[in-house]
Amino acid sequence: MNDVILDMRQIDKSFPGVHALDHVDFNVRRGEVHALMGENGAGKSTLMKVLTGIYKKDSGTIIFEGKEREFTTPKEAQDAGVIIVHQELNMINHLTVAQNIFIGREPKKGLFIDDEKMNKEAAKLFERLNIDINPKERMMNLTVGKQQMCEIAKAVSHDAKVIVFDEPTAALTDGEIRELFAIIRDLRSKGMGIVYISHRMNEIEEISDRVTVMRDGAYVGTVNTVDTNKDEIIHMMVGRVIYEDPKAESNVPKDAPVVLKVENLNAGRMVKDVSFELRKGEILGFSGLMGAGRTETARAIFGADPKDSGYIYINGRKVDIKSPEDAVANGIGYLSEDRRRYGIVVDKTVAENVTMATLENFVSGSFIDEEAERKEAEKYIEQLDIRTPSPHQKVANLSGGNQQKVVIAKWLARNCEILIFDEPTRGIDVGAKNEIYQLMNELVAQGKSIIMISSEITEILRMSDRIMVMCEGSITGELDICEATQESIMHAATLRE
Amino acid sequence: MEKIKNIALVKKIGFNKLVLVFVLILMYFVFALFSPTFISYDRILSALSYSYFLGFLALGVTFVIATGGIDFSIGPVMFASALISGYLLTRSGWPLVLCLVISVLVGLIFGAINGYLVAYWDVAPFITSMGLMQIAKGAGSVFTHTQSVSWPQSSEANGWYRNLVRYSNGSISIPVGLITLLVVAFICAIILNKTKIGRYILCLGSNKEAVRLSGVNVRKWQMLAYVISGTLVGIAAIFFVGAYTTVQPGLGDQYNNEAIAAVVMGGTSMSGGVASIGGTIIGVMIISLLQEGILALGFTKDFQLIITGLIVLTAVYLDVFSNQKKN
Amino acid sequence: MNKIKNNIIVKKLGAQRTIVTLVIITLVIVFSLASPAFRRYSTFVSIADYTYNIALMAIGVTFVLISGGVDLSIGTGIICYAIAGGYLVKYQNMPVIVGMLVTLLFGLAIGLLNGILVAVMKIPPFLATLCTMMITRGLGTISASGFGIPWPPASAEGGWFRSIFKLEIGGTKYPVGIILIVISAIIMTIVLNKTKVGRYIIAIGSNKEATRLSGVDVTKYHIIAYVICGFFAGLAGIAYAATFASINPGTGAGLELDAIGGAIIGGISTTGGQGTILGALLGVLVMSVLKSGLPYVGFQPNWQQIITGIILIGAVLIDIINNKKKPINK
Repeated sequence: MNDVILDMRQIDKSFPGVHALDHVDFNVRRGEVHALMGENGAGKSTLMKVLTGIYKKDSGTIIFEGKEREFTTPKEAQDAGVIIVHQELNMINHLTVAQNIFIGREPKKGLFIDDEKMNKEAAKLFERLNIDINPKERMMNLTVGKQQMCEIAKAVSHDAKVIVFDEPTAALTDGEIRELFAIIRDLRSKGMGIVYISHRMNEIEEISDRVTVMRDGAYVGTVNTVDTNKDEIIHMMVGRVIYEDPKAESNVPKDAPVVLKVENLNAGRMVKDVSFELRKGEILGFSGLMGAGRTETARAIFGADPKDSGYIYINGRKVDIKSPEDAVANGIGYLSEDRRRYGIVVDKTVAENVTMATLENFVSGSFIDEEAERKEAEKYIEQLDIRTPSPHQKVANLSGGNQQKVVIAKWLARNCEILIFDEPTRGIDVGAKNEIYQLMNELVAQGKSIIMISSEITEILRMSDRIMVMCEGSITGELDICEATQESIMHAATLRE
Repeated sequence: MEKIKNIALVKKIGFNKLVLVFVLILMYFVFALFSPTFISYDRILSALSYSYFLGFLALGVTFVIATGGIDFSIGPVMFASALISGYLLTRSGWPLVLCLVISVLVGLIFGAINGYLVAYWDVAPFITSMGLMQIAKGAGSVFTHTQSVSWPQSSEANGWYRNLVRYSNGSISIPVGLITLLVVAFICAIILNKTKIGRYILCLGSNKEAVRLSGVNVRKWQMLAYVISGTLVGIAAIFFVGAYTTVQPGLGDQYNNEAIAAVVMGGTSMSGGVASIGGTIIGVMIISLLQEGILALGFTKDFQLIITGLIVLTAVYLDVFSNQKKN
Repeated sequence: MNKIKNNIIVKKLGAQRTIVTLVIITLVIVFSLASPAFRRYSTFVSIADYTYNIALMAIGVTFVLISGGVDLSIGTGIICYAIAGGYLVKYQNMPVIVGMLVTLLFGLAIGLLNGILVAVMKIPPFLATLCTMMITRGLGTISASGFGIPWPPASAEGGWFRSIFKLEIGGTKYPVGIILIVISAIIMTIVLNKTKVGRYIIAIGSNKEATRLSGVDVTKYHIIAYVICGFFAGLAGIAYAATFASINPGTGAGLELDAIGGAIIGGISTTGGQGTILGALLGVLVMSVLKSGLPYVGFQPNWQQIITGIILIGAVLIDIINNKKKPINK
């Protein structure tokens, strides 16, 4: 069973300003699970998008089942049997499970769609895969985990030969992960080639046969899972980049005052009874898997989403935060995980973005004092080393790291004492990452306090003084930095009630 | 082509706007060629008269479109304003000045309701304004018992308000309305580009959520855009009756389309965040000249409807197209 | 409350449609009690007459709304199409059947144009159809040269087409158009729920990108939604011609709001993906009973527009509040 079903050779792809894939090699054999690893932005998803025809490659060859192929649309790839199970689920909420699975190729009886046959087929499929879902249920009523099972079932029903799983377990519960692995093993035994993209080391060890590592758009190497270990893979992933050791101990004095106290916060399904304290000058790391409720907690504290119950104290004083306006008035700043949607106004200039939260300070009479605004922007451009030709440059034209600095400048201009950094280094290149880290350290040295939400455990370990771990909307662990390890965090992050 | 684009003056004014000015001048010569009366001062004044009320409508809706919204109720609301205040003036004998104030107030109230529904209830702007369009038409006709209202002529008592549009002193006619329109446009440009109101309106049109998460009360500013728009619609009503005196209930929706056409033509993006007051004014001039020209050439108003429709389609398509290219 | 929700009829109809049905019944009872004139058979026939064109428009626009769009051109459209057809019959002496076909084809053509503007050229639906609304209004007036166009009266040659909607037997008028509406509704319900066309239109309204990635030709089916709407606007044009003596150019603006408003009242979400033909028709019925009934209880007819506006906004508010109550499924 060692024959290669899919062979990608010397794949090259550039976007304006980024060399996303630099002559990458990757192949999959029949009946194997091949893990594809690398840090955020290493190029894994781009490679898979080139494979399935979402992006067009600049050069290189793709050989599928012995023939050179170039899929130009996902549909073409799908018809050939190369199917991707996306990180963001692509479900049509108003249709039923069966209707979703068979969309685009509904069985027909005369002029009409044969829904009955579709439901039966879907039920058969689920039975074969050992999945317990009612085919007639509307997609919108399923949990994320169940929706993903439907995606897999859909892929299988397409007579898939290669299935790509892109971070499939990110939003799953332990039980669901076990179910998923059972299905994957089953598919493997049927001779399918499986590409498994994940960050989670123990999953890779458990499920994969081979591991290929990518870094900064380039191929690093491929190893057999049995011949390797976590350290080697991490070394391959991180490579020559200076991999800083975790913080040895907290820099916060034991008697530092509590600046923010959250008590029994509840908000929607994703925030359950969350309580914690943030001390002055502290970086409080929030770790957990995707969908653990960290962002939701941050948004509820910041007033971006309504909260159902709970209390928030700032410097010991109870505050009522109903909107971001209230939060900002209380000295809280929020750096969103989705910068382009929630952080910056891309069509506007650096100066306009920097003064967004403090515009009233730049209004003299009825008019905006553009001179003062420019000076303020220039101050932060220098202080944070924002690389922009001028304060009047549109933010759209800056790199991700510099955009992030603009958002930070916005909150510094406001002189916020409490900063919530939600995935502050997501989508930012390594050099800019280090700058952001340095900046955070300077901020806490000045006496500001930071809540840092991050999905990268190494980042959490490197930056935090203390770590809160969340799982399914609840806090499942609080670790001091000197006792925290990847394993202890992971353990708490997968704790179920 | 690139060379022209790089000349300092062209850059300052904007290439697209210069093209529009060129179109305006060209249109004028074409109309003058086919209809010699077009060169007369009276014709020009007549085209200008049309541009005043349309200009105020367009200025107003520029603010709304800058937030990423749309308002289909401006024309009927303008008529409701003119009908209600005109009815009070001519049938109920209210003082003129008060009636002018009421006209503005009616516009403001409709704008406020519209803005409240859009900003605080997240109702899609085209639906609220469609609903309000019907309500405005109905309100105008219920208030006047389905009869048209004729505001006083210049020679009659209380006729002085018409001097706001055109000051005639036997031999000379001065287009006062033009001066007013330009002054108001200038103020609008300042509000939009130099004040906090404008800054927030443009930013929230571009990315409402990012502005909200900066601690800004976006609902308030979004609603304000509709209130400004409504106020300008109320002013437009005064200039409409100043030019034409008679208003009929149940009408007015064609002016929405003309105002929106002027705005999109002038370079304000339908997706919000980008707005040009200068462009709107040039757009208004083109539409006004067009309507005068079409009448002068002996066509009916219906051709104008079709042409305006095509203009909006083209302008929006170009806007959509350029946005697609950017992304 | 939960008991009521579990009742079989309510379940079949859906909560919102049950409420709408109850509202219709209540309105009819109130108007009948308040005004003997309302109870007359002739009133019933005239409400039916008034409702046909709106009901047909609503069936069509349901598809567009479910696809996540809107069509504002149908109101002025039906007048334009009926004028075009009527012009041929009246001034070119063509048979009525040709006039009807032209009316229908004109509707289809404008529907196709709308579909291309929205699906291919990516112009926001409300703007694209606003423009075709202006264009059809202008075209209608121009082709009528500004005068009203009469289609043949029931007694004249070619007047048979009026009996599709109102059949006169021995002096009694029967609103047989109801049969046409019911048949159309049944067929289109099947199209919506049992064919690819309907399935993909729902899918486009629910999640266009996912539908595209599933290999569905979304552009094609998106266009089809507007073509269906155009076809029914053509039918509505015929209904209008058959139920009114003459067609006046420049009218029709606002009729689309009765249809769209009705559809929204009937539970069609303005965000797409959800809705039924039955709901749309029940919603239209609320509108027309209310509008025709109000004059009988002392409101002037010019209140009708205000009522339309309020109902439209009210229906959307209810939709929004309903959506807010549902748990967010991220």
